[in-house]
Amino acid sequence: MREKGLKVINRDRCIGCLSCMYACTRKLRGLGGTGKSAMRVRAYSGTEGAFSIRVCSRCTSPDCAAACPTGALTTAGGGGVRLDREKCISCGACVKACTIAALQWDEEEGVPIPCIFCGQCVQYCPNDVIAMVERADQEGGEGSAE
Amino acid sequence: MQSRILFVDLSSGKTRVEEDRALFRDLLGGTAVATELLARHGNAEIDPLSPLAPVIFAIGPFSALYPAATKTVALFRSPLTGELGESHAGGRFAAALRETGIDALVITGASDRPVFLHIDGQEAEICSAGTFWGQSAPATDRILREALEKKGRKLSVVRIGPAGERLSPMACATVDSSRHFGRLGLGAVMGSKKLKAIAVSGKGSVAITDPKAYGSVYQTLFDRVVRSDEMKKYHQLGTPANVLPLNAIRGLPTRNFTQGFFENASRISGEAFLEEVNVQHIACAHCPCGCIQVAELREKFAPAHYSTVRVSYDYEPIFAVGTQLSISTPQEILRLIAFIEKQGWDCMSMGNTLAWATEAFLSGAIGEVETEGLSLSFGDTRSYLEAMQRISSWKGEFFRDLEKGTAFCASKYGGKDFAMHYGGLEPAGYLTGENAVMTWIAGVRHSHLDDHGYSLDQKLLVKDSPLEEQVRMQVEEAQWRMVLNSLVICLFARGVYDAQIIADGLGTLGLEWTQERLKKFGAETLKAKYRLKKSYGFDPKGITIPEKMFNVRTSTGFIDRERMSRRLDLFLEYAGIG
Repeated sequence: MREKGLKVINRDRCIGCLSCMYACTRKLRGLGGTGKSAMRVRAYSGTEGAFSIRVCSRCTSPDCAAACPTGALTTAGGGGVRLDREKCISCGACVKACTIAALQWDEEEGVPIPCIFCGQCVQYCPNDVIAMVERADQEGGEGSAE
Repeated sequence: MQSRILFVDLSSGKTRVEEDRALFRDLLGGTAVATELLARHGNAEIDPLSPLAPVIFAIGPFSALYPAATKTVALFRSPLTGELGESHAGGRFAAALRETGIDALVITGASDRPVFLHIDGQEAEICSAGTFWGQSAPATDRILREALEKKGRKLSVVRIGPAGERLSPMACATVDSSRHFGRLGLGAVMGSKKLKAIAVSGKGSVAITDPKAYGSVYQTLFDRVVRSDEMKKYHQLGTPANVLPLNAIRGLPTRNFTQGFFENASRISGEAFLEEVNVQHIACAHCPCGCIQVAELREKFAPAHYSTVRVSYDYEPIFAVGTQLSISTPQEILRLIAFIEKQGWDCMSMGNTLAWATEAFLSGAIGEVETEGLSLSFGDTRSYLEAMQRISSWKGEFFRDLEKGTAFCASKYGGKDFAMHYGGLEPAGYLTGENAVMTWIAGVRHSHLDDHGYSLDQKLLVKDSPLEEQVRMQVEEAQWRMVLNSLVICLFARGVYDAQIIADGLGTLGLEWTQERLKKFGAETLKAKYRLKKSYGFDPKGITIPEKMFNVRTSTGFIDRERMSRRLDLFLEYAGIG
């Protein structure tokens, strides 16, 4: 069976409520706000109601891990990354390397926030914008940023 | 627990953060905290547009923590009424502020050059706005969003348009995507301080005392907001859902409150907008309901060439520049709203003032000398656009005066009998009866949302109730809304936030409040608010009901002078503010 990953299936239905980001911070960390969210809903400047949802692609050969100079970010089984906090030097190279800007940065702790693909964000989306799906091979062109 | 207040002195350019735990412990947040802060830092001697005049913003304990707790409260002295100015706005402002750890803002002083305030985490910086002073409200949002995007994952931009820079007392402050601190002239107060915008970069998280209980209360509220019927109306048609029901009961103010029936209501209803021009719903941060209606206005400007803009619409703008001006198509209403959005006026005040100007012109109170040849007629979109063009470029004394509001214009040019304002503020879109009028007279911000007067009127159509009972319910609702506005939740979610869930929600944050204590707090806060209002010269018995209101038929019949006087006496008695 293939691993599951996140996919943006209905970008155009996003209303920008950020319930997904709040869910991530609340359900995984027991905190309020969106500061620990492993994904992001980006609002474009100058266009009313244009949102872009950035969720981890669960890359099998992640650019973020490759950019890490200390080996703090490593490829997880089934794709995606895991973080060894002891090794992280807070350089931010990983976040810069994620071209789709899915990997988020914890401003309070100075570390990246790898997605663990639990699907909590999906549970709180009122409009089925994101979904947990069996991931396709990356080579197939199934991206997760829309 | 909340405690941090950011003080900004624009004259010296200095900022500082002070902790005041007792203030938030005793007064929750929002409107109660802001009232106390304005009482501490302002006084009746200070002119609304003086550099000394303070502007207060406050969020509450539920901000960024519970769904639909999306509003921020602004308090100031109103340049439109000279009295207490209070306005609430949604968007992302409350959520972004919470993530910076700032719970209230006190802005005083005035800069000698255009500036914007950037709050980044707990640091605040006063930056030059020299390059974009003069820009429209939407353009200012575009500019700052692009400039600051990398500074935090949640950015909120509160800004004024040219109307605020010109110190129009009906200028608003616009928040993110077309949410507004709309009423009572905050835009002019910011303009007088040369404060073009406030940008907040939120990026933190909020510690929770009892995460497990928090998750449980959250789930209940989330389910109510998303799945219950209580918010369905807002989720689907948004506030424009009101157009047809109000028209059906003859409560939709039309052509300067001449009647409560608009013959073309079905063409500009929430349903018609949805069908013809709506392209999307969007939401304030942390509101899965998403009531903000966005339309696309596509116009041909040259052969084979079109321009397209997105314009947000709501019930009140549809009333203010639609039925009030007798405009019968969504496209024309959107053109008027788009103009108003760019300038940054309060759409309700501008629509009502244009309606007064039209009646004044048609009845001969003013003539072509004043309008410099421009003929004003109900239904004439082109003339209204031309009028607003002249207002915004200060062409001619009369047009320059129009952005000072209905009360100012009527006292200068005449037509007082049909000048629709209560203590200087133009009313919202309800011609339902005496309870609605009572809200505009006695409400703390003279807003239709201060209590449920317009809703009480509608209930009377189904079942009569004694006058005393009506006023008692109105006062109790006004008191209860002090609680909701201190938390600060969106009032569209008032049905899902009952006293028990509020007490439970506060409990998860380590704040011990019983239902009884909440109710008592609401009553006390209302009294505190009236004390502050009185210090600014508020006298409920001094507010005149426009003469025209006694000569039009409302949903519930005619307004009676003696009954209104009796209602007011009872209101003051029941609220303990006599």
